[in-house]
Amino acid sequence: MNVPSEHLFFLSAGLFALGVLGFLVRRNVIVALMCVELMLNAANLAFLAASRSHSRADALDLQGPVFSIFVITVAAAEAAVGLALVIALYRLKQSVETDSASEMKG
Amino acid sequence: MKLSVLHSLFDAAALSALAPLMALAIGALLVLLAGLTPLSKAARGLLVAASLVFAGVLNARILLAEQVPGVVLDGVFVADRATAMWGLIFIAGVAVAWLFSRNYYDEDSSHQNEHDVLLLATAVGMSMMAGARDLIVFFIGLELLSIPLYALAAFRRNRAKSVEAGLKYFLLGAFAAGFFLYGAALVYAASGTLSLDVFADPAQRAKVLESPMALVGVAMLAASVFFKVSVFPFHVWVPDVYEGSPTPVTGLMATGTKAAAFAFLLNALLALPTSSATSVALIALITMAVGNLGALLQQDVKRMLAYSGIAHAGVVLLAIAGAVGGDPQPHGALQAALFYMAAYVATAGGAFGVLALLESDGERMTTLDGLRGLGQRRPYLAAALTVFMLSLGGIPATGGFLGKYLVFSVAVRAEMIPAAIVGVLLSVIALGYYLRVIIAMWMQAPNEDSPLASTKPIAFSARLASTACVALVLLMGLLPRWFLEHM
Repeated sequence: MNVPSEHLFFLSAGLFALGVLGFLVRRNVIVALMCVELMLNAANLAFLAASRSHSRADALDLQGPVFSIFVITVAAAEAAVGLALVIALYRLKQSVETDSASEMKG
Repeated sequence: MKLSVLHSLFDAAALSALAPLMALAIGALLVLLAGLTPLSKAARGLLVAASLVFAGVLNARILLAEQVPGVVLDGVFVADRATAMWGLIFIAGVAVAWLFSRNYYDEDSSHQNEHDVLLLATAVGMSMMAGARDLIVFFIGLELLSIPLYALAAFRRNRAKSVEAGLKYFLLGAFAAGFFLYGAALVYAASGTLSLDVFADPAQRAKVLESPMALVGVAMLAASVFFKVSVFPFHVWVPDVYEGSPTPVTGLMATGTKAAAFAFLLNALLALPTSSATSVALIALITMAVGNLGALLQQDVKRMLAYSGIAHAGVVLLAIAGAVGGDPQPHGALQAALFYMAAYVATAGGAFGVLALLESDGERMTTLDGLRGLGQRRPYLAAALTVFMLSLGGIPATGGFLGKYLVFSVAVRAEMIPAAIVGVLLSVIALGYYLRVIIAMWMQAPNEDSPLASTKPIAFSARLASTACVALVLLMGLLPRWFLEHM
């Protein structure tokens, strides 16, 4: 079965929009973190789809896959720091809602 | 992969191009390891200093050499005089933040070691951003700068404001990173390459930008980098994050992050067509207006400096607008931006550092009221802060003045006279709030209700940093020739 690359692009755009929407709507920091992960993985999918559409049987384009491997690595580091911040917030406020971190004027 | 491929990639030029980054990265790892040993705080500090100095020397070597390494590693990284100068600016910014942080943390001082590791990591990230000729390298540099900064912003983890600053910075930074990546993916899908060279060549650029996909991608990339330099309309996070972060870290965010993103933007935005100069200039002027008007309303000096940082980002953007608009002098904008950011690192880094010293007295006294009468109580600190305020305001005989002069002359040479005039007027408004700080320190009696805390002696490292910053600001203002020759 051969899925056209355009379908992959549409899927990735949908995932990205879902991530953006969730980030903007939800007030829970952990959910916001999950939405960011969704955005990053949508980008990964787009990278792989683009790499596929640029590749020919005799010449693979590896820039996309390499970028997505770096993205996965960076996303792991980002999640580690993000969850550490969530724990720091919870220790101070016993809550992980973004509204509990609104001491400054905004 | 055959080993010979690696040999041809990592030739002598590549090694000398990467040497400053390696000095910082190895330094960071050594400091991390030193935390496990019974080495004293002073010995570990020496390690940090050695790493910074060594990286600085390696950058100076590229700057002064007859032949620069140029484009290395198959075209993904470049090391020339400009990136070496940027490297020195980043190292200076990190060094200032580090020296002022030495005695800043009281209850968190047991984690000073981790703090220093994170600081060194940001320097590696900034240098990578400045030298990147490829979106992968730029992204890794960006995250190598950002992720340590999220942790540093929340470093005083028992204080709600610090954690809040870290969290806000993290959430918005990660959101911006998502946009960066999706934008990069779209550009890649449309053009088939991640190299920035596509945008350097007008013919290729025009062909790529024909596709709407690439256009959306470039817009997303620009938005995420504008977020980092805090340009309007992506500046709203700045006041809160700057206020809540530990003050030396705030200094680094204001100076280093901004310089690194501008180093990249200078390359990227110069690829814009001449017709877009007006819109870039408009964004620059709105950014200056928002920053300056916001700063006028602040009572908290740290928050005021945050808004002033937004305004300064607008000034540098004006230089870029001038270059886009056809400044006949080839490196005029680069020189103006380098000089401006070098002066800004010394000035804003020093100003945030002095605020940090006043704060670590225990009392929160970063409000204008708290600064009243500082001239009599701590004349040296007040004098240093005065020099910084004058330079931020662009008074002659300081580095800030010459920086502004260079920026506005780029705009004038590009025949954007109205933009230059509005820019100068906005800078005059800015003087209003800088002078308020000076008046409070020297001409107003101390407020008895908010007493100044004890005159705790200032640590040697902080004294060194503030003296060096004052000296640099004055040197750049009085003897600019050496700096300009190398920029």
